[in-house]
Amino acid sequence: MRLIARFAKDKKDFFEVIDVFDKEIKRYKVDKNNPVLETITTKYPSAIWMERIIKDEFGIEFTGSFDNRPAIKHERFPKDIFPLRKDFNDKEINFAPFEEYHYEEISGDGVFVVPVGPVHAGIIEPGHFQFSQAGEEILHLEVRHFYKHRGIEKMAEGKNPLEFRKIVSRISGNESVAYQIAFFEILAKAGGGVIPESLKRKQAILLEMERIIHHLTDLGFIPNDAGFGAALSFMSKLSEDARRIMAKITGHRFGFDVIKENMQINRKILNPFLDNLKKELEFFEDWIIDIPSLWDRFDTTGALSKQKAIKYGVVGVGARASGIKMDVRDNIFYEKYGFKIQLGKKGEVADRFKVRIKEVFNSIEMIQNMITEKNEEFEFGEFEDGEYMSFVESSIGELFMYMEIKDSLIERFYVRDPSFINWQAFHTTIYKDIIADFPLINKSFDLSYAGNDL
Amino acid sequence: MLRFWQKRIKTGIVTENLEFDKELQNIQKEIKDKVKKYFAGSLAIRMVDSGSCNACEAECNALSNPYYDLERLGIHFVASPRHADVMLLSGVMTLNMYHHAKDVYNQIPSPKWLITLGDCAKDLGVFEKTYAIKGVDLPVDFHIPGCPPSPKEIIKGLLEFLRGFEK
Repeated sequence: MRLIARFAKDKKDFFEVIDVFDKEIKRYKVDKNNPVLETITTKYPSAIWMERIIKDEFGIEFTGSFDNRPAIKHERFPKDIFPLRKDFNDKEINFAPFEEYHYEEISGDGVFVVPVGPVHAGIIEPGHFQFSQAGEEILHLEVRHFYKHRGIEKMAEGKNPLEFRKIVSRISGNESVAYQIAFFEILAKAGGGVIPESLKRKQAILLEMERIIHHLTDLGFIPNDAGFGAALSFMSKLSEDARRIMAKITGHRFGFDVIKENMQINRKILNPFLDNLKKELEFFEDWIIDIPSLWDRFDTTGALSKQKAIKYGVVGVGARASGIKMDVRDNIFYEKYGFKIQLGKKGEVADRFKVRIKEVFNSIEMIQNMITEKNEEFEFGEFEDGEYMSFVESSIGELFMYMEIKDSLIERFYVRDPSFINWQAFHTTIYKDIIADFPLINKSFDLSYAGNDL
Repeated sequence: MLRFWQKRIKTGIVTENLEFDKELQNIQKEIKDKVKKYFAGSLAIRMVDSGSCNACEAECNALSNPYYDLERLGIHFVASPRHADVMLLSGVMTLNMYHHAKDVYNQIPSPKWLITLGDCAKDLGVFEKTYAIKGVDLPVDFHIPGCPPSPKEIIKGLLEFLRGFEK
């Protein structure tokens, strides 16, 4: 079984911890006076951050867990508050005295530590990487996040679901469309409506556009991190073109607030762009495959073994590059429009790079098949109380969203960004590499920090 | 290799191919002049994200693509705050980033300017105050609005900022 998420809820008289697996959902009642539960981290390593967060947010302790360090509560975050409990409503909290965070480090003769972050040298989101080094070789890496923790889950509580849509759009900018579609599906389920096929197609078109933009950006940045700047120039031009097309068809370069009940997509804008993109990409593939010094860096670097990927429940491009058939789009709806799952073999930077190229081609084909002029009306009904879940394949991987509605308002909102899983598996890919390979490996996954931190 | 050069010549220089946007061309010229005048031809920016959705970062990265190529105007993003004139700050300023962002600001040698980027750096934008958000409380010299501001809007904003030196 693959673990998708473990998260908690405050149910007034007790806490509830929910484990979402691909095949079943397990629920545990946790006594508020003695909030203790058994860990699942020994079997599912990606539950480590999940449990650390539950501990931070609800004060639930996990027995048998080997990592009890705070996650979202950083050095100056007060440790005695539990922000996701229902009785916590402070909007302003004061800093606590500095309390040191103990990184996972390796010590020994000649072993040294390279701390990187949270503020990075380039234009990147904040996060911390703690490298234990023996010369150039990486002995260990700890990825530490949640610098960007904005308290999105708490922000949602007590809100009208429709009002919350504009925030959902902006949880993670580069996956905005995916987030909006996931939220839209939840609202449609709660409102008792069936999304008409033509609307689903239009949503899927924008989702594929988002994926194209994301992949094109990466296809430029990955070679750039290996010192091949020409690819960045080539690809950043294409991704800018794609963003401008996105702005033309939706009115927004990132597609914020565009997934609506009624949408129009102009075929005349999209078709010539896609034809041209296909040609450009064919040229790119042909050109880049012939540059041996580049593949010297890509091959054998940052290998995520299939075994590890399964153990961590890795999703998205990361999983597919390791040969795992794992894509939310692997269903009848997408197959009808030409979806073909794109797999790599060894999970190396080279595989992730090639998977991205193949996926752009596939996205182009699907969009061309999906374009429709048909306009079917859709409206949400009254939102019924209950629990709702949805899954969407964002440009990074499987996005899981959960919402409970009570009295027509949001009672609990939870998202597990694909990055959240992949960041935890990330450190397993660096053990055979040197520190100079790190930017390359990092970019080949291209994970979101904002979606991870919430 | 030959194929590449063929492509290269056929594509031309997109930075200068600005038929689609004359306005931007004029803006870029004025920026270049102003950077020359007030910053000896080199304006260094240190970009810090204090809790954005990452769209502002994507747009700043887009400033380096062949269409905009900001570096050409003498503006570049630097890796260290000690090399910077301007701190470009995006995001809502989370509790966890608060001290780090302040550290960066303090490390920039004077004279220094702080430009906030995007709506959420000014008034949280669509977001609302939670326990985890502090809000920006550093001395802000200029604000570039937008959610996110497009590369063109950022360039326009930088020009407005530079025009402020005339007064």
